[in-house]
Amino acid sequence: MMNQALTVINEEREPIHTPGSIQPHGLLCVLSELDFRITQVSLNAKDIFGITPENLLDRPLADFIEGDRIAEIRACLDPDSEQTNPINLSVTVDEGSTQFFNGIVHRAISGEIVLELELIAATAKRDFTQSYRHLKDTLAKIQVTKTLSELCDLIVKEVRQITGFDRVMVYRFNETGDGTVIAEDRKPNLEPFLGLYYPDTDIPQRAKHLYLLNWLRLLPDVNHPPSLLTGLPGTEPADLDMSHCVLRSLSPCHIEYLQNMGVVASMSISLIQEQRLWGMIACHHNTPKFVPYEIRTICEFLGQLMSTELSVKEATQNLDYKLRLKATEVQFVNRLTNATDFLQALEDSPDDLLALTGAQGAAVCEGDRIALIGSTPDKEEVIDLLGWLPDRFENDLFVTDSLPSLYPNAKAYKKVASGLLAMAISRTQHRYVLWFRPEFLQTVTWAGNPDNPTRIEADGSVTISPRQSFAAWQETVRLKSLNWLQCEIEVAIELRSLIVDVILAQTDEMARVNLELTRSNIELDSFAYIASHDLKEPLRGIHNYSNFLMEDYADVLPEDGVTKLQTVVRLTQRMDDLISSLMHYSQLGRSEVVRQSVDLNVLVQQTIATLKISHPQHQIEFRLPQPLPTICCDRSQMSELFTNLIGNAIKYNDNAEKWVEIGSVESKPVRNGTQISHTLYIRDNSIGIPPEHLERIFEIFKRLHPQDQYGGGTGAGLTIVRKIVERHEGKIWVESTPGEGSTFYFTLSEAVKP
Amino acid sequence: MIAPSVISNVQPLLLVVEDSNEDFEAFQRFLRQSPLAIPVYRCLNGDQALAFLYHTDRYTDPESAPRPGLILLDLNLPGTDGREVLRQIKQDDALKSVPVVIFTTSNNPKDIEACYRQGVNGYMIKPMDFKLLKRSIQTLLDFWFDVAILPRNSL
Repeated sequence: MMNQALTVINEEREPIHTPGSIQPHGLLCVLSELDFRITQVSLNAKDIFGITPENLLDRPLADFIEGDRIAEIRACLDPDSEQTNPINLSVTVDEGSTQFFNGIVHRAISGEIVLELELIAATAKRDFTQSYRHLKDTLAKIQVTKTLSELCDLIVKEVRQITGFDRVMVYRFNETGDGTVIAEDRKPNLEPFLGLYYPDTDIPQRAKHLYLLNWLRLLPDVNHPPSLLTGLPGTEPADLDMSHCVLRSLSPCHIEYLQNMGVVASMSISLIQEQRLWGMIACHHNTPKFVPYEIRTICEFLGQLMSTELSVKEATQNLDYKLRLKATEVQFVNRLTNATDFLQALEDSPDDLLALTGAQGAAVCEGDRIALIGSTPDKEEVIDLLGWLPDRFENDLFVTDSLPSLYPNAKAYKKVASGLLAMAISRTQHRYVLWFRPEFLQTVTWAGNPDNPTRIEADGSVTISPRQSFAAWQETVRLKSLNWLQCEIEVAIELRSLIVDVILAQTDEMARVNLELTRSNIELDSFAYIASHDLKEPLRGIHNYSNFLMEDYADVLPEDGVTKLQTVVRLTQRMDDLISSLMHYSQLGRSEVVRQSVDLNVLVQQTIATLKISHPQHQIEFRLPQPLPTICCDRSQMSELFTNLIGNAIKYNDNAEKWVEIGSVESKPVRNGTQISHTLYIRDNSIGIPPEHLERIFEIFKRLHPQDQYGGGTGAGLTIVRKIVERHEGKIWVESTPGEGSTFYFTLSEAVKP
Repeated sequence: MIAPSVISNVQPLLLVVEDSNEDFEAFQRFLRQSPLAIPVYRCLNGDQALAFLYHTDRYTDPESAPRPGLILLDLNLPGTDGREVLRQIKQDDALKSVPVVIFTTSNNPKDIEACYRQGVNGYMIKPMDFKLLKRSIQTLLDFWFDVAILPRNSL
């Protein structure tokens, strides 16, 4: 297969416009400038003309053709003359019978006068009026087609009807020169070629150039060996530029190509847009087939007509697609606008998200959250890709049809993501939308199965598939996806700006809510303050008056009365503690976290020192198995946290030998590496916590023991600890075995220093 | 009541701005236990205190509202609250030399900070402890009316 591909590539160097030979179904002669003597002629002269080349060379054309016709031929060469090809010629051959020919005369690019003769078969004669009527019908039909697809579908039907080919197709070339069959009309028993791709290399550049020069090419029988040209001494048939010759023989490579497809006769009509070969109408026949000049003229005219319509129909077609994209986009954005979580909204409309850019897969990312839709690399691969991507954005967009050639890791998932269209909504918040397209090889419907180049027909015969140059092309399309169209990229850009608008609107809303929150927080602050003040005032009254009673009526109060008043006093004090705790807790939630660099080793040592002073009666072993980190945090809150946790470890401990261990588990990056989370723990040999109470211990005023046990307390300590941890974007949990001890784990987050 | 012979020893007036009868009762109780004979005038709210200091409303007669030697001010008062009263006193050239001591339930650091910024002369928290309350009031009276020298025009 590789050799085959090389053959195709070699054709670029082959002189296909100067083959020095013609197809054998006609005769070619080169005429001298003044007297129209034959200076070169094709070797098949005897078959066509009944006269050997030797007997033709150096003789005036007038010896074989009437003088009137000679004048017409001369007129045909004059650009100002109205005389046009073909010229009807009759020749009386050796046996005395008369043959009729279409004569086609032109001046070659290399300067010679070239006359080509094609036999007119009696059956092929076609009434001009009939042709005209047919053409008029076709023209009317072409004008009512709306889109390119309709136009193409029509043209293949019309051309097939006029010519009778087995198969008529419209090929279209993309920017890189690869061809696709976009319309087809064929004999019902033939395998459809519609949708098949043909690589650029199938038609060499030089051949494409010739297609621009000649609107129509006919090959009546691929198996007929070409007929060489011979000439008078001094002429060089090999130098004759045959670009404009209708009989020019095809390159061996092209013949082989057609043979591979099982095609015997072919005709192609160029479709030209702005001096560029836009595509071709390709006709195939599985048996030899000649198409008379008049019908070729009609086909050529249809090709030219279609060429002029291309721009208009294509614009309509593109407009249709663009409008469809636009409609999808509008629907989409409407949903987004009403969504509170717009990434969720993107995920919720997977089909639309893919349709927006014509992608097969998408990833919606926000921070660590990644949602995959359709065919995508796996999550880990997307995370890696997101690590590589941020520097590649230009205007918040990154587009490639060959990701693996830029980012080698992507080779592993080229099947789903050779093409990438990435949009950054917010790089600081790591909000991205990625669209993926598979490798082209995965999406192409092959012109012939590359893994199975031979095909067994219904009759049991084996045909070589048309796709022989597959390997060469495979090289050029490997690691590539279909191109992202400009209109698809534009949709992504618009979508981005709309999403940003939505986010901005949401940010405004957020700011408003925040303002509202701040206001209500201030209200709450003053509420808590006033409430506590107002609660405390009567409480103090009760407290003071109870004391007045005890002082002023000490003489008359029985001992029992005094005890009861003392209880009242004690309760007022307890209630005061509760109110104070509540106030402190509510203030913790609202006051700012003043972060500064705190060496936890120092802070813990200070806490231990203070606790030792307040628990002089206890024998406590403090264990610090490894150094603690230095963290950017609120020093006073951190001090309170350790005082509470270590204090609890001592407080709820019946052992004669108490110990408390303060340690650090790990420090790891979180939130895409923007923060570091430290996990710390405080372990003890305390009484432990029954499993059913593990969660409840963090609830405010929740105590597991009676007032007078374990030193009392309001039951707000752990609630305050949890609040402090939450203010440091961490969480707290506990593991405990009753009777053995507890371990309180907590995490604290700090921003990574830039 | 005060004998003319000891007029030179007559203590300056203590103006107590306190809306709670119980709190004022407790205050008076400890004041009575003090050996110092300190004349006290009580205002129930901020507006009354300002009227007293500026000789307006029912205090148009200066005799009825002598300039106090010390003002003991609660913060949370009905109407014009203690913070506003303090602000007006400390922004008034004629009054700013009168020492003001806040006596309040609030231990809010914001209040403490704000009052000192206004130029308050002391900030005391009403404790929820009978013995502590007694000691606080005794210390207050001893300091301002025995130890400290008050501005001359207090008399």
